[in-house]
Amino acid sequence: MNSHDGPGRWIGASLLRKEDRRHLLGASTFVADVRIPGMQDIAFARSQLAHARVVSIEKPQGFENKVYTLADLGEIRCLDAGPELATFRTVPYPPLAGDRVRFVGQTVAACIAPTRAEAEDIAQEVLLTGENLPVVIDAVEAIKPGGATLFDGWQDNAFIHATIADGDIASVANAPIQMRRQFKMNRQATAPLETRGVVAYWDERLDELVVYSSTQGPHLMRFGIAQTLGLPEHKVRVIAPDVGGGFGGKNRLMPEEIAVAAIAMKCGHPVRWIEDRREHLIASVHARDHYYDFTLYAENTGRVLGLKGELFVDAGAYSLWPSGPYMESSMAARNLPGPYRIEHLHVETHTVATNKTPLGPYRGVARPGACFAIERAMDELAHELGMDPVELRRINLVRATDMPYHTIGGLILDTGDYPGALEAVVDMVDLPAIRARQKQGESDGRRIGVGFAVYTEQSGHGTIEWTKRKSRVVPGYESATVRMLPDGTVHIMVGILNHGQGLETSLAQVAAHELGIDPSQISIRHGDTNATPFGFGTFASRSIVFSGGAVARASSILADKLRKIGAHLLQSPVESVTLRDGAVHAGAASIPISEIARAGNIRPEMLPTDVAPGLEITATYEPPDSGGVFSYGVHAAVVAADPDTGVVEILQYAVAEDCGTMINPMIVDGQIIGGIAQGIGTALYEESPYDPSGEPLATTFGDYMMPCAPEIPRIDIRHFVSPAHNTLHGVKGMGEGGAIAPPATIANALSDAFRDIGAKFAETPMTPRRVSEAVARARGDAV
Amino acid sequence: MTVTHLTINGETISQDINPRESLADFLRERRNLTGTHLGCEHGACGACTVSLDGMVVRSCVVLAVMCEGRKIETIEGTRKSEPMDVIRRHFHEKHALQCGFCTPGMLMMARDIIARYPEPSDSVIRSQLSGQICRCTGYAGIIAAIESAAREIRDAVE
Repeated sequence: MNSHDGPGRWIGASLLRKEDRRHLLGASTFVADVRIPGMQDIAFARSQLAHARVVSIEKPQGFENKVYTLADLGEIRCLDAGPELATFRTVPYPPLAGDRVRFVGQTVAACIAPTRAEAEDIAQEVLLTGENLPVVIDAVEAIKPGGATLFDGWQDNAFIHATIADGDIASVANAPIQMRRQFKMNRQATAPLETRGVVAYWDERLDELVVYSSTQGPHLMRFGIAQTLGLPEHKVRVIAPDVGGGFGGKNRLMPEEIAVAAIAMKCGHPVRWIEDRREHLIASVHARDHYYDFTLYAENTGRVLGLKGELFVDAGAYSLWPSGPYMESSMAARNLPGPYRIEHLHVETHTVATNKTPLGPYRGVARPGACFAIERAMDELAHELGMDPVELRRINLVRATDMPYHTIGGLILDTGDYPGALEAVVDMVDLPAIRARQKQGESDGRRIGVGFAVYTEQSGHGTIEWTKRKSRVVPGYESATVRMLPDGTVHIMVGILNHGQGLETSLAQVAAHELGIDPSQISIRHGDTNATPFGFGTFASRSIVFSGGAVARASSILADKLRKIGAHLLQSPVESVTLRDGAVHAGAASIPISEIARAGNIRPEMLPTDVAPGLEITATYEPPDSGGVFSYGVHAAVVAADPDTGVVEILQYAVAEDCGTMINPMIVDGQIIGGIAQGIGTALYEESPYDPSGEPLATTFGDYMMPCAPEIPRIDIRHFVSPAHNTLHGVKGMGEGGAIAPPATIANALSDAFRDIGAKFAETPMTPRRVSEAVARARGDAV
Repeated sequence: MTVTHLTINGETISQDINPRESLADFLRERRNLTGTHLGCEHGACGACTVSLDGMVVRSCVVLAVMCEGRKIETIEGTRKSEPMDVIRRHFHEKHALQCGFCTPGMLMMARDIIARYPEPSDSVIRSQLSGQICRCTGYAGIIAAIESAAREIRDAVE
């Protein structure tokens, strides 16, 4: 399967993954597999009350010294979380409940025992007595004046109200077409198959706290844990071993991490907490939960002029460090105009606290909701105008000749051919054939529909963009240390965190390209703050741009040094030598890299006088323009839906996408397909609902529906390749894009299937119940 | 505690087992066989799939004391065995894993599917996999790997 055409051609090779072997042997090490002598298990007692003043927390008799409440943790400094904006209300989120509990599942006490089962026995006996307070469940109601609030002193429940606007929305007030719509993307879990987990102990030899955590960003977590516990940072080591998926959900400092670390310093032995699935579904970060209510302004021709409305993001009970929930709202609003030439935008955003699990990032962050809203609205507009939705998009899409295009949401779309990608998927699903099939009808009574949705995916955004977002942490760069050992093999230490993305392979390909050696000679090391240079971690589709750039830059500096030493050993001028195929060449003569590495490391007398010994380079990288580069794509789905049962089957799914230069096309396709599977989950299955008393209703995989193999169709992919102007090798991040468009695509296909009766699909997930009710409502039947 | 005799990856042992301990916890915590992963602990995700007397089971919903006199094989027991080496190679070549957490359970199930369906169709593989959750791959690589591994194993027999 290695499709590179010979040595040295590693950029663009579908190299099989270096990280597969340990997983295939069942020999990987996830947090739950870490064994430290003397380790005991922690289980958390969690609040069963959605909103209450804490009256007492009773420890079970005989276990008083095995149960930790907040008061037992010592001094804890709750970090301010959320943007550095005066208008954002920060609130402390203690690792164990203080005087209030604000959601079902909030940590109340930590219980220690030799086994997890025994720790759970103790946790079950911890008694939280509380005075119930009014429960806030609906984000729209929650900001009306006079209602109950989660936090004393707040006038309403908004963490922040903020307006995202540009252009002059008043100028389109008389537009001939004004169409108002509401859309809802419901709350869901992130659900990596490995739940979260923490192992912590004090290492006496190194005199430091060691925290193993299933996290996407060990360096930032070290900073956060050290600050929270009041430890100097050099006394804290965070190790992320194998991490079984994250998808954003493992990229926040969480109460359990702090509590377990604090207890490890008090109890005198190693401790471990492994989240169970119920805890994950009710107390790990939740995602999305957007409600849109806006009006599109358009010409009769279908040209869209402006968008005005409101966005509510139900952020749950607390703001999570570092970024908090406002990024969700601001990104959604800024992405609401989509890839369209819309010139007037006015969105009032409300980021609202409710008695639910705190909101965090999840693959796609904000954009699946925004894409769902704008792409559904474009189809609704096409229906209003009697146009084909594809034609409406042709009229409004940003064109290749418009690039770079400044969207009215403040994003700079840099490169690509959006209309070309649209035509590609129209071709891939054979639109005329589907229209003909629809005319014939289906013998089984089902309806066939086809839907399209366009998305963009910002990546590689650095200092400028994160500063604009008023981020508390500005992930503006990444670093890499490239170390050539005396035999010519290479260790590369990076600050990102590979947790399924194949970065141990693709970063080795990037280095191999610069160093002229085979990727098998290179090991990528990540995940241990004691072993790797500082980095921000893997999220926001940033690792190939930032870490790939840092690896390329450090490797390139090392390659210069290898050439210099090689030229000296070959007694040739450095200008005349080349580095390739594992050797430095001067005409017909050559010297293998192993010889150069030997000289560079252990035979300094062989070096030229102007070359310092040692073959280790650390470099950082940030793209020269840190506003970001944009991957994009168009998805198309053909669905069959049963009007009575509401069951939806995806018959065909096609993608035309462009992520610039692909380092490893096999991995790119894997990311696309995996992202789409998650997007299909959002579209059709996954939901974390609450009842009016604040009780979470999806607490097992029996009621939180994960898509399995029968639910995910074959995905057809066509690549466009528009290299970014602004990044090394022209790469763009692409890990999230697959998850952005499926809810919009599938909803548009359903809408197309029932266009004749005008059934409305405005809320995810489109479960059989929601679909059959939408059809019944359109038919005028009782629901 | 109940003294239980059982065979794990070919080794017969007897051990005092707490009657409420699941087979998965017993394997992982008492025998240090950590290749068996726990994704849900309620029998829904399939990450903990092992072989019990030749049948695939979810070890999180089997009690260890129920395994008296029985033979258990975990992923560790397959490390040097045909046809698992073939299946592993196809998983590698078809990019059938990303984070790797579901992989041991997937492999145990894949071997079982191939044993029961020497020539599995796409739809057979999908329905047989319907109790195994993979959050990363969208299943495409896994299905392709099982299909091509089955073909190679079939061809080797013929």
